[in-house]
Amino acid sequence: MDATIKAESLSKSFRIARRRPGLIGGLRSVVDPQVRIVEAVHDLSLRIERGEMIGLIGPNGAGKSTTIKMLTGILVPTGGQVSVAGLNPTRQRRELAQRVGVVFGQRSQLWWDLPLIDSLRLLRYLYRVPAERHAANLKRLRALLALDEFIDTPVRQLSLGQRMRGDLAAALLHDPELLYLDEPTIGLDVVAKARIREFLRAINAEQGVTVLLTTHDMDDIEMLCQRTLIIDHGRKLYDGTVADIRVRFGGERTLIAEFSPSALAALPYDDGGQPLLTELPAGVRQARAEIPRIWLSFERGAIPAHELVAWLGARYQLRDVTFQEPEIEDVIRRIYEEGLLLREHEASLMINHP
Amino acid sequence: MNAIMSDLRLYRRLILMQVRAQLQYKINVVIDILGYLAVTILEFLSMLIYFVPFPTMFGWRIGEVAMLAAVASFSFGLAELFGAGIDVFDETIRRGDFDRVLLRPVGALFLVASSEFRLRRLGRLTEGILAFIVSLVLLHGIKWTPLKLLVLSISVMSGALIFMSILLMGATMCFWTVQTTELTNILFYGGREMLSYPITIYHQVLQRILLFVIPLAFGAYLPTCYLLDRALPLGLPGWVVFLAPAAALAFASIAVRLWSFGVRRYQSTGS
Amino acid sequence: MLRFYVEVAQTAFRRQLIYRWANLAGMLANIVFGMIFSYVMIALFQVRSIAGGYDLRDALRYVWLVQSMVMIVLTFGWYDLMLTIRSGEVVSDLSKPCDFYWYWFSREIGRSGYYLLYRGLPTYLVGMLLFGFGAPLDWRLWLAFACSLPIGAMIGIAYRVLFNIAAFWIVEARAFGTLATVIALIFTGNYVPLPFFPAWLRAIADWLPFSGLMNVPAQIFLGKLAGGEMLLEFLRQLAWLLVMTLLVRFVAARATRRVVVQGG
Repeated sequence: MDATIKAESLSKSFRIARRRPGLIGGLRSVVDPQVRIVEAVHDLSLRIERGEMIGLIGPNGAGKSTTIKMLTGILVPTGGQVSVAGLNPTRQRRELAQRVGVVFGQRSQLWWDLPLIDSLRLLRYLYRVPAERHAANLKRLRALLALDEFIDTPVRQLSLGQRMRGDLAAALLHDPELLYLDEPTIGLDVVAKARIREFLRAINAEQGVTVLLTTHDMDDIEMLCQRTLIIDHGRKLYDGTVADIRVRFGGERTLIAEFSPSALAALPYDDGGQPLLTELPAGVRQARAEIPRIWLSFERGAIPAHELVAWLGARYQLRDVTFQEPEIEDVIRRIYEEGLLLREHEASLMINHP
Repeated sequence: MNAIMSDLRLYRRLILMQVRAQLQYKINVVIDILGYLAVTILEFLSMLIYFVPFPTMFGWRIGEVAMLAAVASFSFGLAELFGAGIDVFDETIRRGDFDRVLLRPVGALFLVASSEFRLRRLGRLTEGILAFIVSLVLLHGIKWTPLKLLVLSISVMSGALIFMSILLMGATMCFWTVQTTELTNILFYGGREMLSYPITIYHQVLQRILLFVIPLAFGAYLPTCYLLDRALPLGLPGWVVFLAPAAALAFASIAVRLWSFGVRRYQSTGS
Repeated sequence: MLRFYVEVAQTAFRRQLIYRWANLAGMLANIVFGMIFSYVMIALFQVRSIAGGYDLRDALRYVWLVQSMVMIVLTFGWYDLMLTIRSGEVVSDLSKPCDFYWYWFSREIGRSGYYLLYRGLPTYLVGMLLFGFGAPLDWRLWLAFACSLPIGAMIGIAYRVLFNIAAFWIVEARAFGTLATVIALIFTGNYVPLPFFPAWLRAIADWLPFSGLMNVPAQIFLGKLAGGEMLLEFLRQLAWLLVMTLLVRFVAARATRRVVVQGG
């Protein structure tokens, strides 16, 4: 009961009728519909505690929005159970809506033709927020999100970043305990992104708002989320921290070695005029060279980092050595493309059901 | 009671907000309203031309038919004005905006019905009033009683409710397919046209449909008969005219139930 | 170049074929209104048997003819051109190497052809089935009708394009367009057949371009115009066609210049 979001074995299937062309085809489709079943979400369980900030990532069509829609009561699950803030999302939709805030990156919840302040004032009545609380929240959000410079401008004239800040304020005016964000930093510049992230961190840390964040931006995940869920093909494939993802699926790490001038002079050179290291240990390859540095990529499993350093140090005089972790972007992409988790998932299934 | 009052206040605020947005462009609003008024007045006046070669239509004189058309127009105009959000629901579904409606802590129908308020639609309401005045002039006045005034007011609102229910059923269809908007238009605009003439000119089957299936006749024909001290169609007893609100509420409750069914379907298929 | 315009017309015709259900739904609307006005006529003709030279059967035919012709001649709510002006697409249209007006003309002729076959004919047939008023069997009337209807359609195209082009100058072009359409429909007998108009109003209507849209073809079809009168109406139609076409071409040229000068 303490968990804010509890979903058990959620499933959602859609029946897609095949449309036949032509007038006769249309009639036939009514009489004898050919239906195929598409499973958008399959056996998905998750548990989010109060005050957590969780990231939700997955390729397009993975089932992320379908899952969110089931959590907000827009869609009814075909199987499984879900409870949010102790309520059933579809049966107690309006009650739940009172305690939840939603921000869509692509579509605003504000009224398009009116100044931002009008939308924010109207929301007081829509959500039945007592006057003083609304005024206090509005004041606080205006300050936190720096809304004053454009609060009288019609929403349709706002820039994307301004509109996003407006939407965030709108979503929080009624003190929701849970906030869903769908691609909140999409299309924003670096400064705007940083501002939004800082804001989210603040409301999560200081007000204990539980946040579920769908995004394609890995920096959002790394900077904000304690936990990340990876969803693909309607299944939850991973539920853990970002660091763990890197460790388990990071693939290659990179060692950057800076060579001393004398060591550089002793090295063979390629046609491009860059130094070339030969006879590297197994699992190590030269990725790039730019005098006086050489980048070496090595598999995590192939050779421990300190051994590689020792190997290099024994042969060459080095000025400096640094390590570079793989970009989480690349890691996630690998996971999608190589279906790594899916394979693991299937393997674990086979272990459980031989 | 408290809940209804606060709902009404919320409705008023939502409407006022849209009115304010449109009034930012005062000239455009005025031109829109006048344009619509002109179109509807021209249509009304052209109907009066019938009475140049023909002194009566099925025993109805020009002033009487004018009054009928005016009442039908006004009732329809109310539905057009307050049911605008339901009218354009096919666009809402097509744009995928219904999800946003479901995310609010208010009833979906309430929110849909209070959106898309367009001042332009005041044009037809104005025409209804003007046409009514013209009809009174043509009739050299009628014998008013307080009861007649009451019957007229309540019947007109009942008629508006029935028109809005037609729109609601059309909107509900959009949960299955957005291709049926033309059918709704036929019932909506065609219904108004049919009501502009005495329903006794139509085939018996159509008369029964307008009385017992889609009870539009209760919104225009029956109260006009009452105002003009005329007999009701199909030999119905005079007190039937007082059943207008009952007929409207019955029809509306069917429409609302179908709508709820449609929303549930949307939630299971996601459209 | 003519080949191009023929192609445009054929494409427009073919494109309409896809909207089968929409056409059926629209036809249903025409039928419903045809029915309503038929009952009105039946009710009216109870008090006298001839009005304006028309008996009940003529009146029913007239009503259903109008419902059959309206999509061919002057569709209500045609804003295709206005939409391209709003969206700015029209700028690229204007820089195409074809004549702007003849392009839209060909498109609309193609659509009119579609509506003749798939809306007009079936609508009249349904009316005949429902109310049993038949059709005139004189081949000469059919011939004359076949000459008059296309002229009406072409006047209709010129008129539509004209009030759509107004969007270049007027912001509230849509409201203006609706008003323009309704006025045209009134004065071509869509609401009340022109033969029933009082004399003074009829005199005005006869000299407006709108009569030639549907009223003249309908009267010809019903055999209400004797030889000399028919000729007069033909000439009036042709004259209005000439005037409207010149007018719309003039306005279109002004619009083109405006776009070129202002760069859209």
